[in-house]
Amino acid sequence: MAVEDVARPNAGDRFTAVAVAAVPLLFVVSGLAIRYAAFASVSTELGFAAYARALCRWDCAWYVGISEHGYERFPIPNHSNIGRWGFFPFYPMLVTAIRAVFPFPTILVATITSIACSYAACLVAWPLLEKNVRAYVLYCAFLLSGPFSFHFTTFLTEPLFVLLTSCVFLALKRSTYLAAGVSSALLSATRLVGVLVVFATVIQMSREHRGQGGSIISFPRWLLGRPDLLVAIFISPAGLFAYILFLYLTVGDGFAFLHVQRAFGRVAGNPLVFLWDGLSAVPTTGWLPTAPQWSAFAALAGLTLSAVLAARRQYGAALFCAASIILPLITNLASMVRYVIGLAPLMMLVAVLLSASKLTCLAALALFLGACYFMTVAWIGGYLALV
Amino acid sequence: MPWSDIAGPYRRAAALGGYTLAAVLAGSEIIILALALNPNVNADYRAYYIDRTTTCLNRDATGSYTLGQTVSFRPDGAKQAAGIRVCGWAGPVADGTHSLGETSRLRVEIPPLRNGLTATLQMAAVIRPPQITQSVVISVNGIRVHEVMLSGKEPKTVSFVIAQAALAEAKTLEIAFDYLDGIPPSPAASNIYKRSIKLLSFRLDTIERARRSDRLADRVSDPQKPIGRARED
Repeated sequence: MAVEDVARPNAGDRFTAVAVAAVPLLFVVSGLAIRYAAFASVSTELGFAAYARALCRWDCAWYVGISEHGYERFPIPNHSNIGRWGFFPFYPMLVTAIRAVFPFPTILVATITSIACSYAACLVAWPLLEKNVRAYVLYCAFLLSGPFSFHFTTFLTEPLFVLLTSCVFLALKRSTYLAAGVSSALLSATRLVGVLVVFATVIQMSREHRGQGGSIISFPRWLLGRPDLLVAIFISPAGLFAYILFLYLTVGDGFAFLHVQRAFGRVAGNPLVFLWDGLSAVPTTGWLPTAPQWSAFAALAGLTLSAVLAARRQYGAALFCAASIILPLITNLASMVRYVIGLAPLMMLVAVLLSASKLTCLAALALFLGACYFMTVAWIGGYLALV
Repeated sequence: MPWSDIAGPYRRAAALGGYTLAAVLAGSEIIILALALNPNVNADYRAYYIDRTTTCLNRDATGSYTLGQTVSFRPDGAKQAAGIRVCGWAGPVADGTHSLGETSRLRVEIPPLRNGLTATLQMAAVIRPPQITQSVVISVNGIRVHEVMLSGKEPKTVSFVIAQAALAEAKTLEIAFDYLDGIPPSPAASNIYKRSIKLLSFRLDTIERARRSDRLADRVSDPQKPIGRARED
């Protein structure tokens, strides 16, 4: 009897572990099949290499360039005024390192690495989703076979960004602050907004302090008495500062990643005006929203979901997501859809909300898989809202 | 595991190590921030990227050019024009090379000259009603030499004298076009996207040669016309 009691949970745990690993793997395969079918429907050239190249759109080419040639000094060769400095280094560095071991074309290595990162992000999401099976299935389907799965399976920073964001929040959930700090450091070297996650870390520390009976006023003193927490905080932006130092030493301008935005035509302005301009860009023909409208809808949906996170007392995640939307919104609406769907806490929240009932879960799953095909065709065709 | 959970004699050492590491990280970040706030860049970089005082990022581009030669800024002359273009241009397309931003520059090598030069440019205005004119201030090697108002869709030939004083003993000639009425693609768009003119051709002549050409033309058309003046047809 006793042996059976011990054996049963073990068998159950093993089955759960296999299922948790198998679900995203299933969506890796289905996503590849759907996206490849979409690619094959619009391309005369077939094969995985051609597929990987076709999905490498917009910023992907910049990351391929960084991975293969690194960053330019100034003046930029070929009389260009657009340096690669605006694109953060960690993911292209990772791809370069992997390519050193597996000497295949960069885009092939990057595509496989992105799929691996998204797969790993799913696994990390399992405990974050409180082992909610339906939400987990939906989240895996969204990342790997969903309408925006091309963002998570080509050479863009989204796959690594989602993985590292999930690692930070899992570490915070477990109060392993040093692990959160190291993940944050890597996140801040992946995308600029990654550095904002340090605020989620501080909020979680504050909650822990208050959980131990402390007050807000005594929090700074408590923090100063915990060197491990101080290290976690100060190491969080280390990736960003390392990149700033690199740019200072090579270009002479540590903020070149910000200053180069001028060459991309980004102008700082009022986010509300940008939102209004986007919403009011009504279509001249047909009823489908225009690209600026989709971008404005995405920003509003992202901010609304951030408010829902705050209402669910996930203050750190809410602040991180809202700030990660508002910061790029200061310049304009460009890439807003990609920025919003790349915020792991928001997409996990969507998965949880849609998994409330079996019916909504199944409907969402069907929608994700069906939309994957059409959105991939739109992405390959260069649809502006997906940039 | 929090370091405070470390037991015994190691606790104090771990805490000391933690404070040291935190201080090193914070100190490094402050130093890096201070470096970033004091960029070590040249004037061209600063003007374009940091101060945003120009839309034309100056580059080390100088085209080879023979006086008296007409360079087309349409696709048929793209190869030679590419060497002359410094910044602030887009194209070429069928109707010429379009200006981009608030300033454009051309730069060519010139031989030593005893006198000045005559420049002849064929340009057209970019118009979007109600704006139907474009004012262009033309400077050579930093000295303002001419101002022209372009209007209508048809290209206009603009000719002006570049005095010897503007050339001094320079080995290069840089023509800067400053646009006073650039049209942005949208109200919120960056000024680097403003459109003002389309340049179709560019030519430099020595004053002597230009006078000879003018005399020849004057004999044919108008014997009373004075020589060597700026001409806008």
